[in-house]
Amino acid sequence: MLPFKNGWMSRVGIVVLAAVLVELISIVQYERVRRIMLEDMEIRGRLALGRLTDKIQSTLQITETTMRENLWDVRHSIVHPDSVFPAMVRLIDNNPHVEGGFVAFTPYYYPSKGRLFEPYAAKQGDGTYRVVQLGGPDHDYTQNDEYIWIMDHQAPCWSDPYQYGPDSVSFTTYSYPIFDAGGEIVAICGLDVNLSWLGDTLNSHQFFPSSFCLLLTPEGELVAGPPGERFSPEEINNVVSFVNQGLPESALPGLTVLQTTLGKDPYWKLVQVYSTKELFAKMHQQRRQQFILVVLCLAVLAFVINRFSRNERKLLVTSAEKARMSGELDVARKIQQEMLPKSFPSFVYGSLEPALEVGGDLIDFYTRDGKLFFCIGDVSGKGVPSAMLMSVAHSLFRILSQKIDSPSKILDYMNKELGRGNDSNMFMTFFLGCLDLYSGELRFSNAGHDKPYVITRDITLLPSKANLPLAVFPNTQYEEQTCTLAPGTLLLLYTDGLTEAKNMERQAFGRPRIQAVLEKFLTSADQSLFKLVSTLSEEAHAFAGAAPQSDDLTMLALRFDTSANRRDQITLVNKKSEVTRMGSFVKAFLGPLEMDQRTSAGMRLALEEAVVNVINYAYPAGEEGEVLIQADTNGHEVRFTITDSGYPFDPTTVLEPDTTLDAQNRPIGGLGILLSRKLMDSISYNRKDGKNVLSLTKNIL
Amino acid sequence: MTTTIQETDKSIIAFLSGEMDTAAAAQVEKDLQPLLDSKGKEIVLDCKELEYISSSGLRVLLSILKQAQTVGSRVVLKNVNDVIHDVLDISGFISIFDIE
Repeated sequence: MLPFKNGWMSRVGIVVLAAVLVELISIVQYERVRRIMLEDMEIRGRLALGRLTDKIQSTLQITETTMRENLWDVRHSIVHPDSVFPAMVRLIDNNPHVEGGFVAFTPYYYPSKGRLFEPYAAKQGDGTYRVVQLGGPDHDYTQNDEYIWIMDHQAPCWSDPYQYGPDSVSFTTYSYPIFDAGGEIVAICGLDVNLSWLGDTLNSHQFFPSSFCLLLTPEGELVAGPPGERFSPEEINNVVSFVNQGLPESALPGLTVLQTTLGKDPYWKLVQVYSTKELFAKMHQQRRQQFILVVLCLAVLAFVINRFSRNERKLLVTSAEKARMSGELDVARKIQQEMLPKSFPSFVYGSLEPALEVGGDLIDFYTRDGKLFFCIGDVSGKGVPSAMLMSVAHSLFRILSQKIDSPSKILDYMNKELGRGNDSNMFMTFFLGCLDLYSGELRFSNAGHDKPYVITRDITLLPSKANLPLAVFPNTQYEEQTCTLAPGTLLLLYTDGLTEAKNMERQAFGRPRIQAVLEKFLTSADQSLFKLVSTLSEEAHAFAGAAPQSDDLTMLALRFDTSANRRDQITLVNKKSEVTRMGSFVKAFLGPLEMDQRTSAGMRLALEEAVVNVINYAYPAGEEGEVLIQADTNGHEVRFTITDSGYPFDPTTVLEPDTTLDAQNRPIGGLGILLSRKLMDSISYNRKDGKNVLSLTKNIL
Repeated sequence: MTTTIQETDKSIIAFLSGEMDTAAAAQVEKDLQPLLDSKGKEIVLDCKELEYISSSGLRVLLSILKQAQTVGSRVVLKNVNDVIHDVLDISGFISIFDIE
C-alpha cells in the first residue's frame, strides 16, 4: 500500500477535511434556509398584523357605528334630564364591548341641575345597570382632554386608553358631540369600551410560543399585550421603548419587531414581535446533531476503509501463503499417489479418487510367496490429518506383512502402533486379506470396514466379522476368518465414498445401485477388473451429478484367476549330477512363460544353489536321500518348493558373505544362498511334518 | 560344458562353452588345470559361449584367480553375457576380476 506512507495520520486528515467540508456546506445551506424562513416569517407576521388590524378596527368601528346609529335616542332624551338615563342604558346595551356610557352636558345646560351634569350608565356583572350622575366639583369633565378637543374640533374622538376600576381594566372612550338645532354643541356622549379583550385577541393565535403582539397608543402607551405570566414586564418594556424610540432592529438581538398603524392620525400602533432565536433554535440543534452524525459516519467510513485496505494486504499475504500451501498439498498429493499401486496385474485393479487434495483412504496389494496381500482402509475425516494417519498405516501394512502371514496378527500390531499417542482420536477402518494364489484360500481380518462384495455368478457380501476399527483401543484382538474362493471369484472392496456418494438431493448412491451395476457387469462382454471399477466410478459420479464429491471414492477389485495355474514336480536324489536333470526340469517348466533369458537363468541358478545345499548337507554323508522339487505358477509368479527329509536346516538364517573382500581373503562358501536370495523375490522356510520345506518365489510380470 | 585352451607367448586363453552348473564344475576345474601354471602369462577366460554359471563355477574361477595372483598374472574375463554378468555382480566378483 504505497499511497499511505503515513496511513493513520493521512486517514485522520481526510476525515477532518471531509468534516470541514460537510460543515461548510451545512452553514451555507443553513444561511439560505434561515433567510427564506425569515422572509416567510415576516410575511406571516405582516399577514397576522393585517388580520389583527382589521379585527381591532372593526371592533372600534362597531362602537362608532353604535354611537352614530343610536345617538338619536339620546338626542331625543335630553329634552328632560331624567330621561337621559334610560337612553344611556339602551345605548350601552347595543354593544357587548361597551361597558358604560355617559352624556356630559355643557355647563348649565339644565339650569336645575347646576353647572355640571353627567348622567352615566354602566353594566354590572349580574346583568343589571348602574345609573349615576357623575358631574360635580370633584369631577369637572370640562377639563378633560377629549371634552376640550371636541369643543375645539366639533368632531368625535377616541380617548387615550386608561385604566379604571379595582382590576385596572383598560378602557378607551369614544366621545361624540351632540349638537342642538342651531349647530351648537350641547353635550358630549361617550361610550367606554373595555379593551381587555384586545390582549386576548392579539395573542390568541401566535405562530410561536415566544411571539406576541402589542397595541400602543399614538403616544406610545401600552394598551394591550400578552398575558403577564408568559412574558416578563422588562421584555415587553424593552419592545415598547424600542418602538417608541424608533431604534434600528439590531438593538433587539434575537427579536424581530413588525409594526403597523391603526385608524387615523394620530395612529395607534400594532406591534408583532417574534424571537428568531427560538425560530432557529431547533434548526440549529438539528444542524449540530447532523454534523455530529456526519462526523461519526466519516469516522466509521475511515475505519472501514482502513480495515478494508488492511484486509486487502492480509489477503495478499494469505493468498501467497495459500499458494505455497496448495503447492505443498500438491506435493503431498503426489507423494500419496505415488505410494498407491500404479501398475496392476490382470487379477487386481484399484482406484482412489480423493475428495480433497489429499485423501484418507488407502488401498494396497502385493504378492509374496504365492500369496496376494491386499488391504483397503478409510481414516475418519479427510484432508491432511487423515492422509498422515493413512501413510503411517500404509507403511505398517507393508512392513508387517513382509514377515507375517496372518492378517489378524498384522492388524493387532498395526492397531497397537496407530493407537499410540493418538491424541486426536482419529481411527481407521481397515480390511486386510491374504489370498493364496494357488489354492484360493483367503485369510482375512476386518477392522470395522464395509464388507467386500463376493462376485461369482451371484453377488453376495463376504460374511466378515466387524472388529473395532484400528486406533480405537490399543488392546483389541482382531479375529481372523478363512474361506476358500472358487476359481474365477471376484472380490470388490470399497470405502463408504462409494456407498455414500451423494447427489444434489442428499441421497446416497447405496447398495441397490451398486448391486445393479454389478449385475450388469456380470452380463457384459468386458469382464476386466478395470471395467468393473471404472463403471462403478462413472455410475457414482453420474448419480452425484453436480454435487461436490463428499468423500474419497476408493475401490479395490481382485479375481482369483486360476487360468494360468500350472504345476510340475521332480524328485532328485542327493547327488550333484542330479543338478543337470533339475536344470532341464526348470527350463521345461519356465519355457511357456514369457520371460527373458536373464530371468529364467537367474531362477534356475537360485533353485540350483538351494538344491545343491540340500544335496551337500541335508543328509549324512553316504546316506541316500530324496529332494522333491515342486514348481508352481499362476502366470504372474513362479514358486519353487524344495522338500527334503534331512536335518532341520533353515538356510534363510545363514549370514551373507562379505562380497567386498579381495580375492585372497574371499571365502569360497556361502555364495549359494546369497545368489538364491538375490535372484528370487522371496525365500521362506518351514519345517513341516519332519521335513524341510523351502519356498522360492519370483514375480515374473 | 566344454573348455578349449590356447596358449600364446603372452597369454593363455580358455574358451568356455555351455553351462557351468554344479554338476559340471568339477570337470571344468580339471580341464582348466593348465591355467594354474601360467608362468606369469596373462590368463584370459573367454565367456562368449558360456551360457550359465553357478556358485561352484565361481569357485573354480576364484581358485584360478588366487593362483594367478601369487605369480603376478592377470586374469581377464572376456565377452561376458548378461546372465553371467548378473552373477558376477551379485557375488561381488566383478570387483576382483578384470572384465573386458
